[in-house]
Amino acid sequence: MIATVSPRDPVIRIVGLRKRFGDRIVLDDLSFDVAAGEVVAILGASGAGKTTLFRCVTRLAQSDCGQIFLGEHAMRTLGGRQLSIARSEVGLIFQQFNLIRRLSALDNVLAGRLGAVPTWRVMLRRFPHRDRQLALAALDRVGMLSYALQRADSLSGGQQQRVAIARALAQQSRFVLADEPVASLDPESAKSVLSILRDIARERMIAVLVSLHQVEFAIQFADRVIGLRAGRMIADQPAAAFAETDHRMIFAT
Amino acid sequence: MKHEVEAVYPDPARSWIGAAPIRFVATLLLVLLVYGFSLYFVDFDVSRLWSGLPRLAHWGAKAWPPDIRELGVLIERAIETLAMAVIGTTIGVVIAAPACILAAQNITPSWLLYTPMRWFLNTLRGIDSFIFALLFVAAVGLGPFAGVLGIGLHSAGTIAKLWSEAIEAVEPGPLEAAALTGANRLKVIRYALLPDVLPNLTSITLYVWEFNVRSSTVLGVVGAGGIGQELKNSVDLLDFARLFTIILIILAMVTVIDQFSAWLRRRLV
Repeated sequence: MIATVSPRDPVIRIVGLRKRFGDRIVLDDLSFDVAAGEVVAILGASGAGKTTLFRCVTRLAQSDCGQIFLGEHAMRTLGGRQLSIARSEVGLIFQQFNLIRRLSALDNVLAGRLGAVPTWRVMLRRFPHRDRQLALAALDRVGMLSYALQRADSLSGGQQQRVAIARALAQQSRFVLADEPVASLDPESAKSVLSILRDIARERMIAVLVSLHQVEFAIQFADRVIGLRAGRMIADQPAAAFAETDHRMIFAT
Repeated sequence: MKHEVEAVYPDPARSWIGAAPIRFVATLLLVLLVYGFSLYFVDFDVSRLWSGLPRLAHWGAKAWPPDIRELGVLIERAIETLAMAVIGTTIGVVIAAPACILAAQNITPSWLLYTPMRWFLNTLRGIDSFIFALLFVAAVGLGPFAGVLGIGLHSAGTIAKLWSEAIEAVEPGPLEAAALTGANRLKVIRYALLPDVLPNLTSITLYVWEFNVRSSTVLGVVGAGGIGQELKNSVDLLDFARLFTIILIILAMVTVIDQFSAWLRRRLV
């Protein structure tokens, strides 16, 4: 399935997306694509609409109009079973990691298999051999294999975020949405988390949409940078071409 | 540019008791009124206590030395009391487990189930195990079984309420993350919620059990088994030496259980 996608095929496609809360416009006519294997950074100050965008894409919030495609899934109109199938293909990375604190790193990565495993197996916490192998390989990929049996709440922030990425890998996601994944990490951990995100995007042809507020991280780790200000796209260009003027426009007050 | 404060800020008005005098006087009057009425209704009378003191002292004197001839029987009754608390609390847990899922706002399948379940649990909690035991003695006859049922019903309400509060206090993020991997509600509860709250739920259960040990010591008074039955017999026969032994046994038992349960709970969380 993954092998049939060629680079540059848009797999996340947002068209004319709008969202308002009351009379405040939060997302104003957003349109952009993310290709398989591509990392796109959404750059914006807090309140620019980054989180709302992510919530609309996963349908935790409903947008007012426009279209959202994740692969073949038209996210705005799906419901019930179809929606949960579509969501199971999206790996989500959160600022606060959202790991289950008292479970081991391995058990947290196995949570990525919850959608695929029968309910009785989850009740007994007996995952099939294949799923456990998948989880261990994912931990290995993010360099956390030696911490597999440590409790999540005993890990550092950077380590927890790497476990969260492993969870998305175990989920075999075709799309990864990361909402401010490094906002509560120190610079070194932030770089390691972002470079893992970039590498897995390349290796597994995953489309990665990541919101950030640090320009230098966006330029260093993303292929493209989209600037968001008060819900409007004010820049969309290759990371290499991102200039000082764009920076000022995005963060000007 | 000057840096001195130039504006004149009006000093916020303060009164010496921190509130406006009228409100203070009104509050004081209300409190006095509540106490006046309450003292009137309870027939509070220090002189009666005073005149009753010699009788209490006389009984106290008769209680020494404690009568330990029936120590074996009394200890057996104390063990019966403990067993009642264990089984009663367990019945409470069995009822509370499904109930608290419906009664916790963050995991309830529907508000249509949530609200009636809350009412039902409040009713169970509002009726003391003593009253339940009274009813069950009439229904199933004298003995510890009636007491166990009474403790079970009352505990079910208490445990389910405390459990659902512990569940509601859980961080929503990890649950949301698990649900978004495509897991159904049951999987989310089992995998993401339970490991997080289990130590808390166990601690609550131990606390209720500890409470039940104390409350089941009196259930015997209504004929629902345990050491309370012996206590009532001794009072009825004015056998104060035996009564003293019983009180000592209860005191020892409750102290040991409290310490043990507190120690277990500290290790859990």
